[in-house]
Amino acid sequence: MAAAQLDIRRMTIIRHTIYVLVAAAVIVPYLLEVPLPFRPSSSSRKLFDVIEQLEPGSHELLSFDYAPDAETELYPMSMALLRHCFKKDLIPVVMTHWPDGVGMCKKACEEATAESQQLWGKETVSGKDFAFLGFKPGGGDLLFNMGENFKGAFPKDYYDQPTADMAALKGVDSLRDIDLAIDLAAGATVRMWIAYGSDRFDFPLGVGATAVIAPKLYHFLQSKQLVGFLGGLRGAADYEIMLDYDELFETPGVATRGMQAQSVTHVLLIILIVAANARFIANRLGGRQEV
Amino acid sequence: MWYKRTIPLLMVFFIGLLGFAHNYVPHPLSVSFRERMTTWLRIIFGFALFIGAYSLLHMHVTRIRRRQAGWAYSAFVFLGAAAMIVAGLWNDGFGPLESPAKGVSTWFDWGYDYIQVPCSATIFSILAFFMASAAFRTFRARNVGAALLLVAALLVMFGRVPISETIGGWLGESQIFPAIADAIMEYPNLAATRGILLGMSLGAISQSLRILFGIERSYMGAGD
Repeated sequence: MAAAQLDIRRMTIIRHTIYVLVAAAVIVPYLLEVPLPFRPSSSSRKLFDVIEQLEPGSHELLSFDYAPDAETELYPMSMALLRHCFKKDLIPVVMTHWPDGVGMCKKACEEATAESQQLWGKETVSGKDFAFLGFKPGGGDLLFNMGENFKGAFPKDYYDQPTADMAALKGVDSLRDIDLAIDLAAGATVRMWIAYGSDRFDFPLGVGATAVIAPKLYHFLQSKQLVGFLGGLRGAADYEIMLDYDELFETPGVATRGMQAQSVTHVLLIILIVAANARFIANRLGGRQEV
Repeated sequence: MWYKRTIPLLMVFFIGLLGFAHNYVPHPLSVSFRERMTTWLRIIFGFALFIGAYSLLHMHVTRIRRRQAGWAYSAFVFLGAAAMIVAGLWNDGFGPLESPAKGVSTWFDWGYDYIQVPCSATIFSILAFFMASAAFRTFRARNVGAALLLVAALLVMFGRVPISETIGGWLGESQIFPAIADAIMEYPNLAATRGILLGMSLGAISQSLRILFGIERSYMGAGD
């Protein structure tokens, strides 16, 4: 009984020590700001190159399908994509399939338009230089409707402006008229966009996803159903590097800075797992039971 | 029996068949039918949000009424929901204040930006602590399969972060670890996820056919 209590106490101490180590691994790199140079991954590069090749005035549909809990990974991606659109004079059309994603869309649009004025001296106006359509329920059925009659699916934008004569949506009557769509996903929306969107209405699709979802997307990239994808915070950091964020703002982007903390945390986790396994193997060889 | 079972089964069969067939019939009538169907489905989906809200609130009412452990948190659900509903509806979100020009943050926006966003992000970020602790306590190379999984996980974890490029650079090739991580993701991971996806899709098709032909009737409720 006493031995069991001792083991529980020891495990509690180990658990709390791990929590302290993880906290330190996240906080200290932010304070020290040690630069760790890295090369953007090929999947991020593919998406960036597709956007680079779009002509000014092309329509890029951005579906921000995430809630605030995925903000850390997907909000920097949203900002990077909007920044790229405004830099290249593309017309972003922003929407969400998630009711609590509306606030994320709104915040990103407002920040990106303010930034566009500051960085490139371009005044970006809702309805003219970009469209913010807000949230509509329906998922795959909404995509069907958007494919058949885009403005019928969204008769008004988020600000209650009719879409029928909206300058930003000129020439967009169906999803077929979209030059590129990107789904920023924290859930199961990617397969919906492929099945009911890009495969059916034939437009190029890219994805930005949380690190949890990213491993499930490689086969879509191989089958060319995706033109590229950004995976997790690393994908956002890749995009910031490709957009020369540190030259524009004279400081690394929020995702790039996050990579330092992520590097240290991953190394800490690797050390912990290796140490635990070394102990496990030593116990096994010594014929002892692991607690 | 006729009203409760046969008519619903026939409806499911015919509407399901039409839903399936219109994908292969490009006639304007079929296209128009599809548009109408998807619009109806979106309306039904909208009502599902109300059912979800009702279900959530009902669950928390029960917890409060029975004074179950942590019932005070349930009271907080009502408080939060009521505060956000009032903030959103009262004077277009501006409450007792005079409505300023468009583009200025409302009370609702304030609640979203400074309460919901940080709280949700905090809950999500706590996962890192639990995952680290769980990995330390349970991730063991107990057999060959587990050992392979462990090695693959460590290589992907390492290859995904910039420090691997710095350490690779010291070894003479900065891209060695990212290349290994990419190879693991693009071959064994891809093969496994594609296999799982194909299995899931075949299962979904077979389940749909069972529902269409009335073999699977659990959606009709108990006893059917």
